[in-house]
Amino acid sequence: MSELEINEHRQMLLDSVTHFARGLDLIRVRQLRDTATECDRAVWQQMAELGWLGVLVPEAYGGMALQLADMAIVAQALARVLLPEPLTAVAVLAASVLAQSNNEALKKTLLTDLVSGHCLPATAWQEQAGSLAVNSIGLQATAFEGGFKLNGRKQFVMGATGADGFIVSAQSQQTPGVDGVQLWWVPKDTAGASVSFETLADARRCATLSLKEVVVAKQQLLLSGQAAVDSLSRAIDHTAVILSAELCGLMSRALEMSLEYMKTRVQFGKPIGSFQALQHRAVDLYIQQELASAVLADGLSILDAEPTVQTRQAAASRVKARCTEAALLITRQSIQLHGAIGFTEDCDVGLYVKRAMCLAAWMGNAHTHRRRYAKTEILREVA
Amino acid sequence: MSAALSVDWNEQDDESFRLDLREWFEREFPVHLRFLPRRLRWSESKDWWTKLSQKGWLAPNWPREHGGMGLTPAKLIIYWEESERAGLGRMPDQGLTMVGPTLIRFGTPEQQAQFLPKIISGEHVWCQGYSEPNSGSDLASLRTEAVLQGDSYVINGSKIWTSMAHDATHIYVLVRTDKTVKQQRGISFFLLDMKTPGVSLRPIRNIAGHEEFCQVFFDNVKASTSNLVGRLNEGWTIAKGLMTFERLSIGSPRRPLQAFEQLDALARKLNLFADPGFVDCYTKLKMDLLDLGSLYGRYVDKVRRAEPLGPDISMLKIFATDTYQKLSELLLESGAEYGSYAEAVNFDGKIIDLISPFYISRPGTIYGGSNEIQRNILSKYILQLPN
Repeated sequence: MSELEINEHRQMLLDSVTHFARGLDLIRVRQLRDTATECDRAVWQQMAELGWLGVLVPEAYGGMALQLADMAIVAQALARVLLPEPLTAVAVLAASVLAQSNNEALKKTLLTDLVSGHCLPATAWQEQAGSLAVNSIGLQATAFEGGFKLNGRKQFVMGATGADGFIVSAQSQQTPGVDGVQLWWVPKDTAGASVSFETLADARRCATLSLKEVVVAKQQLLLSGQAAVDSLSRAIDHTAVILSAELCGLMSRALEMSLEYMKTRVQFGKPIGSFQALQHRAVDLYIQQELASAVLADGLSILDAEPTVQTRQAAASRVKARCTEAALLITRQSIQLHGAIGFTEDCDVGLYVKRAMCLAAWMGNAHTHRRRYAKTEILREVA
Repeated sequence: MSAALSVDWNEQDDESFRLDLREWFEREFPVHLRFLPRRLRWSESKDWWTKLSQKGWLAPNWPREHGGMGLTPAKLIIYWEESERAGLGRMPDQGLTMVGPTLIRFGTPEQQAQFLPKIISGEHVWCQGYSEPNSGSDLASLRTEAVLQGDSYVINGSKIWTSMAHDATHIYVLVRTDKTVKQQRGISFFLLDMKTPGVSLRPIRNIAGHEEFCQVFFDNVKASTSNLVGRLNEGWTIAKGLMTFERLSIGSPRRPLQAFEQLDALARKLNLFADPGFVDCYTKLKMDLLDLGSLYGRYVDKVRRAEPLGPDISMLKIFATDTYQKLSELLLESGAEYGSYAEAVNFDGKIIDLISPFYISRPGTIYGGSNEIQRNILSKYILQLPN
């Protein structure tokens, strides 16, 4: 496609997502807070029909084989209405890992079902808070005659409430190091697998997955060795960038709400938006929003060019750090700009504050990403 | 000038144009004037000006029929990038950046013929008379006055913060020509020879100890009506009309990146990368600078697509100048005791300038509309907050 065609296509995609998002309100978000799945399967099915679950999936598996920049458009627009469904967990994180699998039979089933909205895979890779390392894995895979046995625990698994199964990273006990890294598909009702949930600030939940003597057959192996590490680490960077797009979407809506309030709320006989102290505060928020969107745009084009690992990580970290800080600042300042009403449960500002907190913490917060950036881009050069 | 007319630089492909500039700047620009922590005086820059002029490369933004290079926006950006990369110092360039474009747009053919060639030749060196002692951010309140007496105007008043006035042969001034109307509607744009009787000046030493700006006094200075640019009382519109993409240069990350290299050198000398506290601050700033690059790039792309720049470009000025100041402050802080030295520090032969970036980065948040004024602009025109 030419640049012009790409732009036209992206404009159409944006129009279509914006139109769809108009039908989703925050009342729905509040209602879904008290449900077990935090997912409206009817909405999910519509998104599947519009093709959005398969944006990053190859055409052979029913996907659209588009780029991260396209996925960002979908995620950003839906984040403005705080979509609670696990779009990024499924259509970015899980889809990216699955797309790299060399287990053709399993890949075909899982990806086509993911794209059609019938399978929600969750990715269980993380064991430690504040770490983005994919190959220091405590969860063990022990070979036995019939296959492997998995033992261990994964934390902070997102999109797990309605998940049909888990992509689990494990370290083979027979093969130490990178060569022994494995990615397994573990369906949710597998004997020995148990899930417990922690409620997050935005009322969505993350899971701890415990595996005790879970038996997996060879056919459940998605990928192993260096390829598994590469696929996971790439998926994590891609997810971090799409989460940043979500952060951009929600910060823009939060700032809009604050500006609307500043134009209508009257004190001392004037709209409070006429006061210079508040105007300058709002401008500083706007600058952070624009900065975040400029960095996001650059990051997307860098990642879409599939650069070296180091370049990819540096770009993803810049994007996630900036978008996270901007979103936290804007949503928190939105409380202040709304005054006491901003501190109430009824005020929608709180929903944005809490979602920002959750997206900030997932896949590395600003501090984690700055630390990773320093390690690979600064300290490595010094040493 | 004949060289300039014979060549259409826009026909050259971008990469070879870039390499030509790079190679020639590298070869011709005096080494001792590169990356100076201050503006160049005219005495230092005259030779370079002449050299550029003879090469036909002096006025990249002017049309070719007036002796410029007539570069497209995309080519102009390449020109800037290569100037910055080579560390070309800032010359007394008001004639090139302001007077030329103004006369080309608003001047009479006579004014163009009288002034433009002499800017190109270096015979005329211009300075800008905008701010006054009582009119800084509130520029439209200016009170330097021009009164019509017979067939000429008589100017009285004073301009201040006039950069390089002591090097200038000419000054362009905004003066009040009507006190009965709304402030902005009673201002006119005049050109003056600094040697006109009644013009005097006093250099002002800045906080860094350099004499870069002056106060200029006008005591019954006579100006002919032919010195008026545009129509009477149109001066404000003319001054505002100059806010074109030249403003992009204030947001370039190149200058702060230059200072960042000092920080880098210092950190290696003092082994600061072993200090996690320092690494945190350093990393944050480094990422701020890269992010500034992203924001800057967004505007550069706009210019390349020949889209007009709106008032939102104020945000680039705010973020660029704030970031530059933060960087300069970290440089001093990281120097510990060295951070209080009045001059560049000699570390066993390696000279690291800790203090110059501090001084150089100060005026950026003040001139060209202070960052507070820029915030007012964004609040009004972009966020559309009420008055």
